[in-house]
Amino acid sequence: MSEDALKLTTYFGERARVKGRLLADELLDAHARHDIRLSVLLRGIQGFGAKHHLRTDRLLTLSEDLPLVSIAIDERERIEALRREVAALPGEGLVTVERARLTDSLGGLSAESELKLTVCLGRHERIDGEPAFRAVCRVLREAGVSGATVLLGVDGTIGGKRRRARFFARNGGVPLLVLSVGEAVRMDRALAALKQMSPSLLCTLERARVCKRDGQLLRPPVHDALALDGGSAWWKLTVVTSEAARHQAAPVYLELVRRLREHGAAGATSLRGIWGFHGEHPPHGDRLLSLRRHVPVVTETIDTPERIRVLFGIVDELTSERGLVTSELVPSSAPLGRSPGL
Amino acid sequence: MSAPTWIAVAALGSVGSIARFLLDSAVSSRSSGSFPLGTLAVNASGALVLGVLTGLALSGDALTLAGSATIGSYTTFSTWMLETHRLGEDGRLLPGALNVFASIAVGIGAALLGRTIGGAF
Repeated sequence: MSEDALKLTTYFGERARVKGRLLADELLDAHARHDIRLSVLLRGIQGFGAKHHLRTDRLLTLSEDLPLVSIAIDERERIEALRREVAALPGEGLVTVERARLTDSLGGLSAESELKLTVCLGRHERIDGEPAFRAVCRVLREAGVSGATVLLGVDGTIGGKRRRARFFARNGGVPLLVLSVGEAVRMDRALAALKQMSPSLLCTLERARVCKRDGQLLRPPVHDALALDGGSAWWKLTVVTSEAARHQAAPVYLELVRRLREHGAAGATSLRGIWGFHGEHPPHGDRLLSLRRHVPVVTETIDTPERIRVLFGIVDELTSERGLVTSELVPSSAPLGRSPGL
Repeated sequence: MSAPTWIAVAALGSVGSIARFLLDSAVSSRSSGSFPLGTLAVNASGALVLGVLTGLALSGDALTLAGSATIGSYTTFSTWMLETHRLGEDGRLLPGALNVFASIAVGIGAALLGRTIGGAF
């Protein structure tokens, strides 16, 4: 199993509607109709889009239209067909297409220096009595990857079958994602250990660059040779920090989105994880009866190579001591209602 | 209370909550920080208006409709508490404490000012 696949991501608002229905329902129905191997709907905690209206769950009135992110991964033809349908939907939002591999081994990616691994699990799935996402994080950490974050989905499809969370239900089968990045050699080790632990894990691999870890600059966010490739490429900058991490008095993730908006970034979305680790730090999540939260927060922004270089300056300043910053090439990015070329 | 009064309470209650939503979102989206200024603006202006109403010595149905129905649905205790808790979650204890004590001080001041204004008529 090692397939040339694509990942279709849609960023939009919780209240966005098409033809009188919620866009989220419309998208996930389309995923199920197209029998998408793996798709997840994630709920953001703050963000802004092309119109620069800030949404945040920190203030009640501004939390009424929080960002949503839907991700669909499958082989090329299926995603191409889905993309044609999604791109035609009217409304406000952003649609991106990235290259990925549905695989449990490095295959043709072994020449890369760093990789991003996504593992899809059921919310209440267990491996040897341990919650599966914790077991996967433990294996990743033992293999020495740079970091991993667990994001809880609210809807999705696994193997084409719809897995939607309901209010009064156990929701054990609703998908969650474990996102991790690390050096290819360590990822190889992690994949072997994961396969041994649970042979049927649903994994995808993508190219990624680790730019900064715990204050240490490792690589510039934009690969010069790739940035010039066709001139139409976009880049995604991803910042992972603990919710408890702060810059001066403010939490880093809040300050980051505030500054990205001030500096005219095209958009940004923050997602709160439920568990994760990066670097040498032990895995962390919320603690019972603790006022402060300790879960990881992932913030993404997508822009042109030139703009990403500028925005990285902001990110660099805010992650002077802690956090994990990665970048990825996004071959195609276009607003909803317009067909993104690939 | 008579049936028309009940209907008026429902109607004015919805007016109050819509007014809160509009003012809160207008203030919050203009203030770039995450300090809940929108809720403070709502509660302070509500206290001012309720102060004016009591200064005017309204009573009976008029006070019920203007005070309990309109201002009651306009101001919000629960949002004030929720947003203070959120500040605590973020470890921003100083802004959290400020949100509690500044709201109390500004609110009492606004009510007092309102009553003085109302009493002058």
